[in-house]
Formats: sequence, C-alpha cells, structure tokens
Amino acid sequence: MYKKIMFFGLLFTCSFLHAQENDTLPKKDFGRVYGGFESNGQWYLNDKERGRAQPNDPLRSNSYLFVNYQICKWTAGGQVESYLKEALLNYNPDFTGVNLGTYFLNYKTNKLDVTAGHFYEQFGSGMILRAWESRNLGINTAIMGGRVIYRPISDVKLTALYGQQRSGFRVSDGKIFGFDSEFQLTNALKFEKSDLSLGLSYVGRYEKTDIPDPNFNELTNAYSARLNYSYDAFYSSIEYNYKSEDAIIDRISNQIKNDFVRSGNALLFNLGYSKQGLGIDATFRRTENMLFLSERVPTPIAALDINGLPTTKLSSEFSDKVLNFTPALTKQHHSLLANIYVYQAQVGVEFKSNQILKAGETGGQIDVFYEFAKETPLGGKYGTKLSLNAASWYNLPGQYRATPADYETNFFGVGTRYYTDYNLEIKKKVSEKLHTGFTYINQFYNKRWVEDQPVEVNTNIVAAEFTYNFQENKSIRFEGEHLWADTDFKNWVGGTLELDLNNKYSFFILDVYNYGNDDINERTHYYNFGGAYRINSTRIGLSYGRQRGGLVCVGGVCRVVPPSSGVGLTVSTSF
Amino acid sequence: MKKTILFSFLILTTWNSFSQKQMPNVSLVNDKNQSFNVKNDFNEKDKLYVFAFWATWCVPCLNELDAINEHYDSWKKELNMEVVAVSIDDSRTQKRVKPLLNGKKWSYTILLDTNQDLKRALSIANVPYTLVVKNQKIVYIHNGYSQGAEIELFNKLKEL
Repeated sequence: MYKKIMFFGLLFTCSFLHAQENDTLPKKDFGRVYGGFESNGQWYLNDKERGRAQPNDPLRSNSYLFVNYQICKWTAGGQVESYLKEALLNYNPDFTGVNLGTYFLNYKTNKLDVTAGHFYEQFGSGMILRAWESRNLGINTAIMGGRVIYRPISDVKLTALYGQQRSGFRVSDGKIFGFDSEFQLTNALKFEKSDLSLGLSYVGRYEKTDIPDPNFNELTNAYSARLNYSYDAFYSSIEYNYKSEDAIIDRISNQIKNDFVRSGNALLFNLGYSKQGLGIDATFRRTENMLFLSERVPTPIAALDINGLPTTKLSSEFSDKVLNFTPALTKQHHSLLANIYVYQAQVGVEFKSNQILKAGETGGQIDVFYEFAKETPLGGKYGTKLSLNAASWYNLPGQYRATPADYETNFFGVGTRYYTDYNLEIKKKVSEKLHTGFTYINQFYNKRWVEDQPVEVNTNIVAAEFTYNFQENKSIRFEGEHLWADTDFKNWVGGTLELDLNNKYSFFILDVYNYGNDDINERTHYYNFGGAYRINSTRIGLSYGRQRGGLVCVGGVCRVVPPSSGVGLTVSTSF
Repeated sequence: MKKTILFSFLILTTWNSFSQKQMPNVSLVNDKNQSFNVKNDFNEKDKLYVFAFWATWCVPCLNELDAINEHYDSWKKELNMEVVAVSIDDSRTQKRVKPLLNGKKWSYTILLDTNQDLKRALSIANVPYTLVVKNQKIVYIHNGYSQGAEIELFNKLKEL
C-alpha cells in the first residue's frame, strides 16, 4: 500500500511539471491506461474409456490481468494473476490463488531507462541471463529489483541490474547482479558494406551455502562475449559464455556435493547467407555444464507423470528459478504428429545412473529457404517455396566416471546421439483459391538419454495440407498426416479440418489416432473440436477433447502434461 | 471461473474507451541491427504503418505475410503504406528470420522483438496479430489470419 502511494505521488509530480513546461500551450495530460487480459480455463472431465478420473478441483483457470498507466516519461504497471481453484494440471503449483504477480515503475527518456520492481531482461542469446514470461508454459522468471539502461550515444547501450528472481509469488534466495554492454561499431569504423557489433556481459549470483568449507565460491560469476559481423549478403555471429566453478547437483539425491565442483562454458557460432530468393543458415552450439539456477539446489515439487501417476519433479523442470535460456535448436514443427518426439536441450551435467552420464550437448542445425521463381518449370504460375532443415545433437565426447563422479570432455567430436531431425517442406499456391503444403520429417529420438525412458525411436512423418477458399473470405483447410515409428507407441495417423468464416469465426475438428500401439488398450483417439471468435484484439475460444499425456512444448521449452479430457475456454484481449 | 468471466466482461466493455491509443515507448532492432523506437520512428504524416506480429514457427503468420507480399507493390502504389513485420522469435528460432525473409522474397521492414518486450506491452496473447498505426495512433487491430483476410485488411486500409 505504501508503495502504491509513492507511485501516485511521483505521477502527480510528473503531471505538474509537464503542465509547467507547456505553459504557452495549456494542455491537460491525464496519461493513458493500457494492458490486457488473458484467461485459460479447463473443466476436467471423467473419461471412462481411458479410465481417467477427474482430478481434484476439476474446474481450473490461469488468468492474467496486466494494467499499465503511463504519463509523460513515467509508466507504472502490474499484473494480477489468478489460479483458481488451482493452476491448470502440471503447471508450477507454486502459482496458486489470486495475487499481484509483478509490478513496476519505469522512467524512460531517449538515453535513460530506469525500472524499479519486476522487469524482464535478456543478455545476448540468453545463455547466461534471460528473465522472461511464457503463460502457455507457466513460466515467469522476472527479476524483482532495479535496472538502469543507459544509451550515452545511439551506438552504445549499457545495462546494469540487481535483484532476485521471481518464483511463484515470492522471490528465490539468490541475489543476481548483472551488467551488459552493446556497441555498434559500423559507424565508428566507417564501414559501408559491412556491419560489426560487439557485446560483453556479466552475471553474478550470490547464494549462501550450508556446506561447511565449500570448495566453491558463494558468488558464481558468468561472463559472455559476442560479436556479430555481416558483409553484403553474408552474416555471422559468435558468442562465448563462461560460468565459474560451482557445485554440481547430484541428480539421484538432488543434493550438491562439495567434491563435484566444475566450471561451465558454451560456444555458439552462426553463419548465414541471404539474398532475394535464397537463404542459408548454419548454427553450431556446444554447451558444457550450463545449467544456471538462481538457487543452486532445485526444489522438489509434487506433480503428475505422463501416465497421470503422482511423481516428484524439480523446480528447474518447470523452468522455475532458472536464470538462463538454452533452448533446443531444432525446427519447431506445426504438424501434430511431429510434436510427439520433441527434443529438449541437454545443457547441464546429469549423472542419472552408471550408464547415462551427460555433461552437456554439442551439435548444430542447417536451414535452407529457397523460392522457385514464378513462370519457371518448378515455380509454376505462382512460385514454389521450399524449406529444408537438418539438426543433430549429441552428448559431449570424453571420459565419464559415475562414482566418484567425474568427467573430462573433448572439445571436438561427438558422444552419444540424443536427437536428429531432417525435414523438408514445400508450399505451393496452385490457384487464387487453392494453397497446398507438403512436409516430410525423419527423426531419431534417444528417449533413453533425454527422458530416461528405455527406448530409442526412429520416425518418418508425412503431412499434406490443402486450404481452399470457397468464397473470398471463407476458407476450409484440411491436413492429413501419418507417423511411422519403429518402437515405443509405433504408428499414428492424424487429421485436422478447419473452417474459417469472414476472418472472425473459425471452427476445427482434429483427431490423432495411435492405431499402431502394441497395447490394444492404448490404441486411443485423441480428438478435439471447438471454435473461436476473433474481433479486434479479442479472441474467445472454446474446445472439447482429449489431451495426450506427454510433452507440450512452446518455443523449445517443454512441460510434461498428464493425460486429461475436458472442456477448455480461452479468452484474450488488450486495451 | 465466475471471477474470470466477470473480469473479461469488464474489460470487453471498457476497451472501447481506449481504442485511440498510441504505440508503447519500446525500442527494437531491425534485421540489420539498427535501433528503432516503435512510437516515434514511424510517424510520417498520414502514412499507414501495418505492424504485423509474426514468428518463423507460426504457419498462419507466414501465410499472411506471403499473401500480403503478393499484393504489396500494388498496395503501395495505391496507398501511402508500409508493412513492419515484428518477429517475436526468441533466441531459439531468431537466427532463422534473416534467411527466411530472403528465401521468401519479403521486402518488409523487419523488427526483432527477441525478449517480447513489445508483444508484452501490447498484451498480445497469440500471433498473427496485426495493428495499423496512423499519425502515431493505433487505428485498427485484428488478431489471427485466415486465408483471404489480406483482402479484408486492404479494404480496411483504404477506409482509414
């Protein structure tokens, strides 16, 4: 309450000053209010056929009301969050009840940007710091504290911050210090065809430890340096990250050990060529021991597994108290069946058994985008768009020992393969009314190493898509897909039918069917149907259906969801 | 749930009063690493700026921008307008933006909203999301894209 009064006090001062400045042109400025509202509700129902009972509190919703008030150079804002009666199944249960989730006061000019309260931030690619929000995944790792961004000249940006990371409706114990700098050197070096920029960052995490005579510092330092260079149609970037020596979590006991203390590092290298009609991009990344949390030891949290049975998960598996961002660098597929085996980056040290010994990940991906021009044999009347992507990821090569825990990695080469994805996508407009698309995907997923499930799966996926406009603003879309897998759940078939009317109403029905499952009882249809109404910034959607137990991934971050059936209502709007 | 419905009703009824709003004061870099302020740098008098929010992994977004691209030259001849395509890709997929632009022969102004500051300030829940700015005021918003909707957008632009 005290804080709120302070906020308003400041705002009035500002409007008063504003009136003074514009004495010659009297104008009342009452500022403006803006924000948004989003709610995802679910009514979980019994599903006798699948033997799924309703969970406790079958009616649940996650809602967010974000309101800002801006006047002259000041903005004050806050986000009220409600998780009623509880958060949706397998969201971080620390999000519970109704509460003020984030709030801030910001002062911004062309050169200076100062925030007190919660803020989001990312340094470079995020491998040593990213504070962010993803409502779909139940992630909010905003930092609560203070941040100053200063741009002395347009080519230089300096950021300094201090605070503690948000976790549920509290903050985590670690104190975070951050500094980032960015320099555009193109003007200073008078480059004409090329472009050069440089960035340097530091993140410190201070957390007291109970371990007597620790072999590591209570302050862990992370450094990052990055360079971007482009010349004409070529571009490249390189980023190196280093994390100082810190205790590693024993994944069996979930404790840190004083005799297993190592530093971490990550190298990201990107090279591309892009001109009209053709784009090629290659990314290489090697990460070693780069799990970076705002508290050394993650908190165990009660959750449900993919079969709906009670289990214990770690806060880091909910991306809670995670300071950095190390996403899986693979293509994010839109086909339903291509999202059954989704890779998650393996960037930390994880010794889960005598056989599964991981220190990080190495690998890369290549993308090619090409357009066959109009009026060519392959382009046809409207042109043909082609995209190719190949990604492969491996454990770090080296020597590993389970007890006492130790490892020594090599920089070059690869270890056990985690994941491979080769895919091809062709999009073709056949006529003014008909658009088509075709996708082929070949995947290898080492479930044994990535998810501790005893299988290694090879898949082939084919999907074909047709969208037909039966009137100018009314269209119907059909997508058919099939997945062949040599083991695990084996074969699947799927289809989606979608009707869009006047850019406002849409209706869909989809089904994926695990017809090839060896267990006849698991040959389940996962159907969903529903509709949405969209107008201006508002969208209201209603659906009914079955959710497969497994990973739900958005932007390379995944959440395990238990199987469920029910009705879903989503509302989003902005003002 | 009741509270939720009440909340949403409240908001739906109030949003009209704020429809003449400005863009938030957020700076983003373009695909060539130059910084732009979305509030102040798109301010040519009477010009229509179409801010189209998209991501490399969002198929309807790509469809929308592909569809606009086919008409873009003729639209620009008829109206004083510009498409600013704001990518909300984060560092997982951001490297795919640049090759994709050229692979698709898009000639839009591209802004990168890597940590989704602009998306958050505008409370955008999902992409595609399109808003039109004229004389530094947001004059039109639409969310989602279905095939053929680009014609509707153009008709709207002619009215604005």
